[in-house]
Amino acid sequence: MPDGRRTALCCALALTAGLFAGCSEKSRTESGGGTLVVSTASDADNLFPPLVMSSQGRQVVEQIFEPLADVGDSLNVFGDAGFIPRLADSWTWSADSLSIAFHLNPRARWHDGKPVRASDVRFTLSLAKNPAVAAPIAPLLSNVDSVSVTDSLTPVFWFKRRSAQQFYDAATVALIVPEHIYGGIAPAALASSDVLRHPVGSGRFKFRRWVPNATIEIVSNREHYRAPAKLDRVIWTIAPGDFSAASTRFLAGEADFFPSVRPDMMAQIAKSPNLRLVEYPGFKFGYMVFNMRDPKNPKAPHPLFHDVAVRRALTMAIDRASLVRNVFDSLAIPSIGPTVRAMGTSDTTIAQIPYDPGSAMRILDSLGWRAAPDGIRVRDGRQLAFTIMVPSSSKDRERLAVLMQDQFKRVGVKVSILSVEPNVFEQQQATHAFDAAIETWLADPSPGGIRESWGSEAARTEGSKNYGDYANSVFDTQVDNALGAPSRSAARLLFSRAFQTLISDAPAIWLFEPRNVVGIQKRIHTAPLRADAWWAHLADWYVPADEQIARDHAGDDIAPRADSPSSKGSS
Amino acid sequence: MELAGRRSVVGTVVSRLLQAIIVVAIVTTIVFVLIHIAPGDPFTSAMDNPNVTEAMRARWRAMYGLDQPLLEQYVRYLSNVARGNFGWSFSMHRPVIDVLKDALPNTLLLAGTALVLGFAGGIGLAVIQATRPGSRTDRTLGAGSMFFYAMPDFWLALMMMLIFAYWLPWFPVAGAVDPVMHEYMGPLAALADRLKHLALPAITLALLSGAAVARYQRAELLRVLPDDFVRTARAKGLSERRVMWVHVLRNALIPTISLLGLSLPVLFTGAVFIERVFAWPGMGWVILNGVATRDYPLVTAGVIVAAATVTLGSLGADLLYSVADPRIRGR
Repeated sequence: MPDGRRTALCCALALTAGLFAGCSEKSRTESGGGTLVVSTASDADNLFPPLVMSSQGRQVVEQIFEPLADVGDSLNVFGDAGFIPRLADSWTWSADSLSIAFHLNPRARWHDGKPVRASDVRFTLSLAKNPAVAAPIAPLLSNVDSVSVTDSLTPVFWFKRRSAQQFYDAATVALIVPEHIYGGIAPAALASSDVLRHPVGSGRFKFRRWVPNATIEIVSNREHYRAPAKLDRVIWTIAPGDFSAASTRFLAGEADFFPSVRPDMMAQIAKSPNLRLVEYPGFKFGYMVFNMRDPKNPKAPHPLFHDVAVRRALTMAIDRASLVRNVFDSLAIPSIGPTVRAMGTSDTTIAQIPYDPGSAMRILDSLGWRAAPDGIRVRDGRQLAFTIMVPSSSKDRERLAVLMQDQFKRVGVKVSILSVEPNVFEQQQATHAFDAAIETWLADPSPGGIRESWGSEAARTEGSKNYGDYANSVFDTQVDNALGAPSRSAARLLFSRAFQTLISDAPAIWLFEPRNVVGIQKRIHTAPLRADAWWAHLADWYVPADEQIARDHAGDDIAPRADSPSSKGSS
Repeated sequence: MELAGRRSVVGTVVSRLLQAIIVVAIVTTIVFVLIHIAPGDPFTSAMDNPNVTEAMRARWRAMYGLDQPLLEQYVRYLSNVARGNFGWSFSMHRPVIDVLKDALPNTLLLAGTALVLGFAGGIGLAVIQATRPGSRTDRTLGAGSMFFYAMPDFWLALMMMLIFAYWLPWFPVAGAVDPVMHEYMGPLAALADRLKHLALPAITLALLSGAAVARYQRAELLRVLPDDFVRTARAKGLSERRVMWVHVLRNALIPTISLLGLSLPVLFTGAVFIERVFAWPGMGWVILNGVATRDYPLVTAGVIVAAATVTLGSLGADLLYSVADPRIRGR
């Protein structure tokens, strides 16, 4: 009997009988292959790049679709240094820097075999910017005026103005989608189109199946023009809304990768002979924002927090290092401001307002806030008291609030904690109906987002993300200068000044920056995990042939059953 | 006489169905209003995304008509439902009807299995206890049923998962099927895989419902056992087993049938936690997620299904009374 047929028979028998360890013959190269099962507690929102917002959705679409170029491990967004060719194999700047011509790789193909063309790039950009689509990436493309097509392999991006980040905007923000698949759908109907659940891209993985709230599967694209993915398949197994089921799946060996390890899991993982922990930098940070508006009358300044001296004194009352240690153990460090250490433009040596309760009390004394017999400070008959709002879904933030309440009490400040449902939390923030709130922010490699959260323009815009309504024209100017810097090193210097202005103004207490820790089965060999996306190099992960187990051979030489929902390209 | 009885049953069924429609309509209206006036909207969670502006959220609200007055939205919703269109699920990004079509069979499978296991086991335990009242067996089984009766469902589910899926890896942790291997299995292996995944959540639910059944059924059996007709049956020389299973049990089933009717909604809502812990893709999780994400069409449709299930379950229980007790038929 030929070897291939024997292998198939062996696997079929083993699988049918439910004996998953029977097949020993390897059908792939010595260095590659295998199955990665990712355990997660939430499903993707959709699998269409312009509309995707969830982390799970991004993890999948960024394997199936490609940008023109990738930002690279340096995460530099200024100019084009460090960018890695993807669909575009080269690019040319115009003399006035107001346009960039990309040259597409002529071997690039969509997963249905059709060639990738410049018209696809033009289609993608026009779709992403179309107001009827309401794509979340649209604001990031505001500087792209249009895309023209010089020839079938040369799309040209035209910009409204020169910007240090214009290459990043053009090359990475939009993953290119095929016009022949999505072009026939009315833009306003895209969000509810079933086509979005069966994506056709050009990436190193191609879509296999999506069973809502259960499974998403992608498989290696063996015909990829650069190189197929080393893993045969990646399966996201979803325990909807339940962290404990998702984590137990990983600990019990049913999954290979768990991206959200919590402190209480670390000891178990460390003890396991098959599991390992991998740490990588993150882009998330947490802080307690002061509302500059009076929550009872949003047109008036907040009676306490409009005074920068009060905000600075309150900041001095908080021992951030002990808070972070108590709540996160070693899985977080004190934040350095409205940024993260992994961001290339961050200055990690920037001066912080120190923990100094003695000075805090002296400042409050000097401002007329004197301690009453019950220990709480009073001025003009009003107690120095406020409420910290936290979302009830975050136990970490609730614990932080409790510890902060105690530290504030030591300097004579009375704090109440208001734990509210996440929807209420978001609404109260958007309407400025809070005193102080503990928030988290997930940054991206581009530092431009700071305008939306701390800029004066955002403070004047209802519904913006400048929830504390902080406004400082000096800071705005410094940010504008930094974003216009010609290089990352120049930007770092200018951002350092802007952050120093912000930190000195104390519109928030910068609390924590989580360290990302993932759990992985030891047989999985990973590429470096990138701060903005652990999945950035997923196509280069693999399981060595001599370490593969039964599930690494799932689907080898065996067609799925005819009645299987996934065999119908299920949804 | 028999014809009159049948007419009476038909009249009761029609009347109860009309009542059920009214109940479902009222519940739907209340839920529609409550979920709409609750803080937030289906796009509130998008505020976490730094790129999503207020203008974009306003555009999304307009796309789905959520910027219209509540009364207008309600009228439009009712007219759509009347045409069989339950709307678009904002959280699942699919038509609501598709979400329900996927979730409902899973819940029925889980709840149905648990119902059968729970009631069969509970009645069996009660018979064992009632035939040996006051014995060590009776006391032990009574303590056991009390233990599970008092147990919070989510806690029992977590313990079951910890013991039988993690410490003793006999069953899979979660899900309805093996996400990797299921589609490559043959029919028998696929069935075995499905049963393995069903086992823990179904047993957990069955333990909770079976404990209640055992306690109610034992009490009723002990009440019926001293009756004259039991003594007559024994005097006729029938075996003790036949006396118990044919004569005593049938006459002691009425409270258990009431419990069965009541168990439909209990299983339905109780399954929320069980489904969540075991990541079972059923109605419970769908509705819970819909409430958290303010998925108005999904929550309202889920409540319509739940209300209909409850009212029909109650009607079914009433019909079963007449099967178990012929005296009720004529009433």
